[in-house]
Amino acid sequence: MKLLLSGTSIRGLPIVTVTTGEDLAEVRDIIYRPEAGRIVGFTLNKRGRFAGRCKEVLLTEHVHAIGRDAVMVTDASQLADRDQASSEVAAPEARRDVTDNDVLTEAGVSLGQIRDVVILAGADGGEVVGYQIELPSGGSGYIPSPAQLAISGDALVVPDVTEEFLSHDLVGLGAAVDEFRARLGIR
Amino acid sequence: MSDQFTAVLGRKVVSRESAEELGNVSHMIVDAEQRRIVAVTVGKRRKARVVDWEGFTGFGPDAVLVTAESSLREPQDAREQAAASGELELLGRRALSDLGNLLGEIGDVSFDPETGALETILVGGHNHPATSLLGVGSFAVILHVDEAAEVK
Repeated sequence: MKLLLSGTSIRGLPIVTVTTGEDLAEVRDIIYRPEAGRIVGFTLNKRGRFAGRCKEVLLTEHVHAIGRDAVMVTDASQLADRDQASSEVAAPEARRDVTDNDVLTEAGVSLGQIRDVVILAGADGGEVVGYQIELPSGGSGYIPSPAQLAISGDALVVPDVTEEFLSHDLVGLGAAVDEFRARLGIR
Repeated sequence: MSDQFTAVLGRKVVSRESAEELGNVSHMIVDAEQRRIVAVTVGKRRKARVVDWEGFTGFGPDAVLVTAESSLREPQDAREQAAASGELELLGRRALSDLGNLLGEIGDVSFDPETGALETILVGGHNHPATSLLGVGSFAVILHVDEAAEVK
């Protein structure tokens, strides 16, 4: 079974080298590219309390694995200087922040508002497979996301069938993702 | 016959030349790439000295013998100094999988006293083969774990 992590649980995780067992930095924020359904990288904080922001960023392509307790890189050379990174990593646009976006089905029904992204962990991790949403009735739930979708910064449009795959926890979402995508004919 | 880190720490170090006791084993310096003990520190903190594995003539259950007192040397580089101060001690250190998941603390490490080759690494009641060792650092020891076995 695949390990899924919420964006919130990834923030603050240490960046650790596989070959030397050192903690280089920690995740400050996640840079998400909604059109691609993937996170493209992480901005970083220095380790330690009040240590402040790092000038380096970590691109997803340089990540060895995303885990429950650490984001792993092969060695320290995998961190890239922010100035040299592509603009979407160095200065992410505000509209990439999907938090509070309304989730609308194609039929125009609101399923709720996005509270967090859910990310596939592991060695080939980084794919955003779903969202945690606040339900109109209160409480929270999880919806799977197709690999690509229309998102504006105000709203996320999802297929009507999404509603059937609403689950109440990450374990339920893990089971729902594959079935949901099979139904949509993706992969 | 294999030996254990927990059993070796504190074991007396004796010179074969003079039969004098030179101190006690304080830390093992492990090379993660070679998966073996490359050196041992004798004594603690600022008094710690390093003995290269080649400097031992016998790694026995009651004492370890070095060729002579001259086999003990000062820590040379930053890594040896870190090892001498216990920053790289495997015992009790956090073990992370290369997938970024916490496995637990290292409880013990077994090795071949003839060659210094590591055999198994005990983490949270589970013995990992030494071949799974990828890195040893001040933050964590990194072990390779099969993804299917790890994510339950």
